[in-house]
Amino acid sequence: MTRFNWLLDGSIVGIYLLATMVAGLMVRKYVGKVEHFLVAGREMDVYLGIASLAATEFGIVTCMYTAQNGYEKGFAGATPGILMALAMLIVGWTGFVIKPLRDSGVMTIPELFEKRFGPRIRWAAGVVIVLGGLLNMGVFLRTGGQFLVLVSGLDVNYLEIMMTALLVGVAFYTILGGMLSVLVTDFLQFVVMSAGLIVVTVLILMNVGWTSMVSAVETHYGVGGFNPFINPTMGWQYILFNALLNTAAVLTWQTIIARVLSAKNTDTGRKVYTRTSFFFVCRFLIPGIWGIAALATLGPVANTLEAMPRYLSTSVPAGLMGLLIAAMLAADMSTDSSYMLTWGSVIYNDIMAPFRKTRWSEKKGLFWNRTIIALIGIFLLFYGLWYPLKGDLWTYLGVTGTIYLASISVLLISCCYWRRANSWGAATAILISAVIPITYLVIEQLPSTAALAKSIGPYYSGIATYFLSALAMVVGSLLKPSPRNELRGEVA
Amino acid sequence: MMGNHWFWLTLTIACVVWYSTITIYVAIKGAADIKHMLARLEATAAKEKGEQRD
Repeated sequence: MTRFNWLLDGSIVGIYLLATMVAGLMVRKYVGKVEHFLVAGREMDVYLGIASLAATEFGIVTCMYTAQNGYEKGFAGATPGILMALAMLIVGWTGFVIKPLRDSGVMTIPELFEKRFGPRIRWAAGVVIVLGGLLNMGVFLRTGGQFLVLVSGLDVNYLEIMMTALLVGVAFYTILGGMLSVLVTDFLQFVVMSAGLIVVTVLILMNVGWTSMVSAVETHYGVGGFNPFINPTMGWQYILFNALLNTAAVLTWQTIIARVLSAKNTDTGRKVYTRTSFFFVCRFLIPGIWGIAALATLGPVANTLEAMPRYLSTSVPAGLMGLLIAAMLAADMSTDSSYMLTWGSVIYNDIMAPFRKTRWSEKKGLFWNRTIIALIGIFLLFYGLWYPLKGDLWTYLGVTGTIYLASISVLLISCCYWRRANSWGAATAILISAVIPITYLVIEQLPSTAALAKSIGPYYSGIATYFLSALAMVVGSLLKPSPRNELRGEVA
Repeated sequence: MMGNHWFWLTLTIACVVWYSTITIYVAIKGAADIKHMLARLEATAAKEKGEQRD
């Protein structure tokens, strides 16, 4: 029985939703150009960037899979967060890739590729980015709806209606205000989300206790619950795959990179990275603690993804429940709005580039950007409703993300630092890194080949994608004759 | 038991303390960032309008 009180908790949630919608709609008057819509006129400063990046990269889906990791793997489940924080810190500190990218003045990564590899690679990279990104985002709605239904105790039949209402609300202010609405609502959402996360975590630590959680992890997973190298479901291949995945995400994930590209200068972008880096440890460890608390309290359950929300529904008192749901709505809305905008920006800026040979008016550009976001919303609604998720959520996100992370990170590093890189290498790298994860997803779904997919596992296929993609770039580039002719322009 | 898992205990405490502090700090400084961002956008728009008239 959930402790959600419709009067008290419902009011907290209602006030939050109202404040967000008002803030999101108020800034729409500042959107006069495509540049305002896509990168907020490049006026974002450090602290707004930190709030926006943190809010975007923590959705309900994040909370669900990181809690699932905590429930299934113990404290060791927070390892991807530590790896991502390290990658973020190093990239921000050194400016590796993000400095030349921001200095180039582009609005999306494929736009930079055109300068080095030509318009076809720009287009192909755009398609791969959108394909990987939308498949990845496709599970957000259902997972978010699952959490909200379980925690608030709503009838499960309302899940689809809730998903639709949430998406329509988010799409409304994103379509009107673009990146400006995203930044302002992200700020509000960061504050609400963080308050909820901190209060609930302190409550859990006080109620369940550190000793009980450590004891539950020891009982169920032994030493492997604390050490990822000896955890039977993790091991070196899990760590290597996550190190590659998280480094590639830090360098190329469109929603993260959008903050660098919206920053008012390169130094601001780098500061956003270094100062947000530790948040990525919290992003895995805090919900991981919630998952471990569910393990300590509920014991083994059939659906590990639902363990944490089921536990919270009975342990968080009325009043705090409203804050928790507002926090999770905030987390989800900030993620959805930013994801719709950034994938939309690639569709407009890169995939539609061949159709914009003559310069479009700002009005026409804004119209198309808004239409694309609306279409993405419709796609998400249908894909989110029918895709049956198999395996754990983090692995699905990792595999679909790898479709573009592997090739785009290889292309971006080569574009910035390897003079011999050319369009042949880029095309081969894109092809290899799309084929391996898509093949893996297909054979995982087919009953006749599911056992084969299981024996290979997502980590080996993921690692192979990154290394083969890099190899493809090198071999393809070296095979192309007269590489000097290909060097159209140098990246700053 | 706590002594055996000091790494995770330290990291958990660090997360709660750091996250609480950064939330308050970013809430204050981020609000100022929004104010300045909107002011700059407004000023740029006014300047562009003025140039168009000229």
